Amino acid sequence: MADVSVKKGLTKGVIKLTVLLGISFLFLFVLGKLLPTPTEDGYRVFPLIGSRVWVWIIAQLHLNFAAFVLGVPIFAVSMEFLSWRRSDERLDRIAYDFTKLFTLAYTITAAVGTLLLISLPVLYPKFMDHMMKILGPTWWLYIVVMYVEVMVCYYYYYSWHKMKDNKGTHVAIGGLLNIMGVIMLLITSAWVGYMTTPAGVSETGELLSRWKAIKTHMWIPLSIHRLCANVVFGAGIAASYAAYRFIVAETDEDRAYYDWMGYTSAMISIGFSLILPGVGYLLGVEIYSFNEQMGIQLMGGFFAWLWVMQAILIGAILMFVNYYLWISLNKMPGGERYFKYVKYLFVTMLLGYAVWLTPHSVALSLDEARKMGTYHPVLGNLGVMAAKNTAVVITYLATFLSFAIFKMSNKEAVVSWAKLGNALRGLIVIGSTVIVLILGVYSYMVSSAVRVKILSPIQFGVFFLAIVALFILDAKMFKGAKILGEPRWGKMPERSQYALIGITVTFTWLMGMMGYMRSGGRQYWHVYGIMQDTSPDAFLPTHGFASVVTSILTVIFFALMGLLFYGIMKLEKKGGQGGAKA
Amino acid sequence: MQKIYPIIAIIGLVISISSVFKKSPFFNFVGLQILIYGLLKSADYIMPALPAQVILMYMAMSVFSFIIYFSIQEETFKAFLEPMRSLFADDNKKFLRLIIAFIALPLFAGYLTYAKVKPTYDPPVSARIVHPEPPSQMDFKGKTMNVLGLENPLRKDTANFAKNVEEGKKIYYQNCFFCHGDDLDGKGHIADAFNPVPLPFRGTDTIAQLPESFVFWRVAKGWRGLPAGSGPWNSSMPSFEDFLTEEEVWQVIMFIYESTGNKPRSWE
Repeated sequence: MADVSVKKGLTKGVIKLTVLLGISFLFLFVLGKLLPTPTEDGYRVFPLIGSRVWVWIIAQLHLNFAAFVLGVPIFAVSMEFLSWRRSDERLDRIAYDFTKLFTLAYTITAAVGTLLLISLPVLYPKFMDHMMKILGPTWWLYIVVMYVEVMVCYYYYYSWHKMKDNKGTHVAIGGLLNIMGVIMLLITSAWVGYMTTPAGVSETGELLSRWKAIKTHMWIPLSIHRLCANVVFGAGIAASYAAYRFIVAETDEDRAYYDWMGYTSAMISIGFSLILPGVGYLLGVEIYSFNEQMGIQLMGGFFAWLWVMQAILIGAILMFVNYYLWISLNKMPGGERYFKYVKYLFVTMLLGYAVWLTPHSVALSLDEARKMGTYHPVLGNLGVMAAKNTAVVITYLATFLSFAIFKMSNKEAVVSWAKLGNALRGLIVIGSTVIVLILGVYSYMVSSAVRVKILSPIQFGVFFLAIVALFILDAKMFKGAKILGEPRWGKMPERSQYALIGITVTFTWLMGMMGYMRSGGRQYWHVYGIMQDTSPDAFLPTHGFASVVTSILTVIFFALMGLLFYGIMKLEKKGGQGGAKA
Repeated sequence: MQKIYPIIAIIGLVISISSVFKKSPFFNFVGLQILIYGLLKSADYIMPALPAQVILMYMAMSVFSFIIYFSIQEETFKAFLEPMRSLFADDNKKFLRLIIAFIALPLFAGYLTYAKVKPTYDPPVSARIVHPEPPSQMDFKGKTMNVLGLENPLRKDTANFAKNVEEGKKIYYQNCFFCHGDDLDGKGHIADAFNPVPLPFRGTDTIAQLPESFVFWRVAKGWRGLPAGSGPWNSSMPSFEDFLTEEEVWQVIMFIYESTGNKPRSWE
């Protein structure tokens, strides 16, 4: 990535994409002639690992990279916007570093997408014919948007230095890039939405309304969920990159910069993750309202165990985040004053974590089943949504408090009402926790409709109100505050950086497992209730097998990411900062 | 054997407290893990014993979380690592190193391996799916019914609500009560003969979580209707479509909801 002009960069991007698409169509044509005709049911079999596992790995890898290249531009452009308004060079550098990351990742995304593009029509021709029949025009729109997006992306990246005096326009180009990204996301979510919660077709799969086939139950909730998750994931990868660069940094200056970059990325990641439970809940509600059977299967049936796994993993992510924030108090002048609160936050996190991961249906030995019955009288109560939602909200509140403590730890309020402010803060924290707990207990006594539609949203609402109130209060209280010293960026133990890497690895694995669940919710259907899967793979694999596949693709993903990081560092060494020409 | 666990918890507590005074985070950590393990295993003094799987999950969480806790502050973390560093690096700990690293740890690993592979006559631990996924369609006495969106037709007949519940009560006592119990708590006369034991209808975690269509399917089809993934061999529930009419199944469903104070899951 030596210095390249805008025109050259743009041409390079378009050629790259065209070559990859050309290769795909050429392969499709050649393979279509060379391979034996599909079976009567319309399938070809991928050698050794079977078609399903192959497509599973490629699709998930493509999704991981796509999540990254769609998520990172959102905050890269936000950073550039802030750097422009505040004339802050450091923010501009971080925005550029993020852009460097996602621009390079586009190539890998497109390459893996090419593999998927070849694999699906070759291995599942009948299914793809059906998808083209129903949603064909969206596919052509997808190609157009992809071209426009790549051009905008390359233009945005390669014009970075050239347009440094015209930041407003450059930020607007970044905005356009994000609009393209959102359109791509909406198109692909429409495909998945149709497969899982189909509409607009007859029982035999004849198209009745294309718009209805696009606007399915799952479409918008899935798109919102993916949009937020992409930012969380993209920021997480950026945090891992910063953590890696911190660990291998040779100068204090680099260490300080990458420490700050890791912190910023991690906070963006966690900030957006606060929205995920609520948005996920919305998605769940839509699935239930489409088909209760599917909802039961996903929540209480075969896939119930994955929610326990999800709880374990998200609990671990939150522990890592809190750990990172608590350890960060070491670098804040005055941070030691707040260590005394850490133990209370830790106990809250631990209790919330314990409730969250308590399974509803427990794996029992014969002896245990005889003594306990179907549900444990205490654990059974902790395993249901009333308890889970309460635990989730309280652990997130504790995480926000860790963040708030970190932010205020090097400041001393000088306003006359500081004592009152502190009391008010305590009141908000304790008050909101008590309200969430009361609502949680009351949730046991009402019908599921009241719990799902009224009480749970109120719990999340109380949480958001509390953090907004704390945010405003702190902003007022610490306005013009006495600064005890600037954060000592770079003065962090290496283990804190492994926490950042741990967050992203856990998140990637979790994405894989949840993807397996979303896809498995269709059971033996390609398109639920419309087009049956009659291939030899038309059965749900065991969770153990799914975990192995997910683990392997997580390793492949991070190996490719490692290559990307290595490539960036090598090119930086070769040509200074590398990338766009000034 | 059970009586030993409170003693283990007390030992853990003593280790933890004394290590606080001696400023040894490592032994505080060890003490806390022993304390938590002892407490979890002692739970059966106040409630049915906690299943081994749950204890394993809690302990894994506890070890992970407390390692995090003890590594927040640099000095604490150094002190936490000190006993391990000292054991493996100090010259005056050669004998202790020999005992722990070359005798105790291999013996412990050997014991764990032995415990894992020793022959046992217990059936394997199973992860049972208590609420399996129903099919989208089912056949009831030759009539095809869409389970999806299936509603209890008797609910609309509000004038005869009490009568239907009363009929359901009779059906319950003629067919269900032997297993599911007089108090609908899953403790019927012959409940103990089955494994797994019959479901209770009281509480918030069985029928309260389910729509009536699901319950209809389970009552009508019993173990035979369970998908393979849910282990049909793991249920003794008869297929009541062989004994009851469609109306009778709905009536008994109304009774079990009404008498337990639960409401069917719905979106209204």
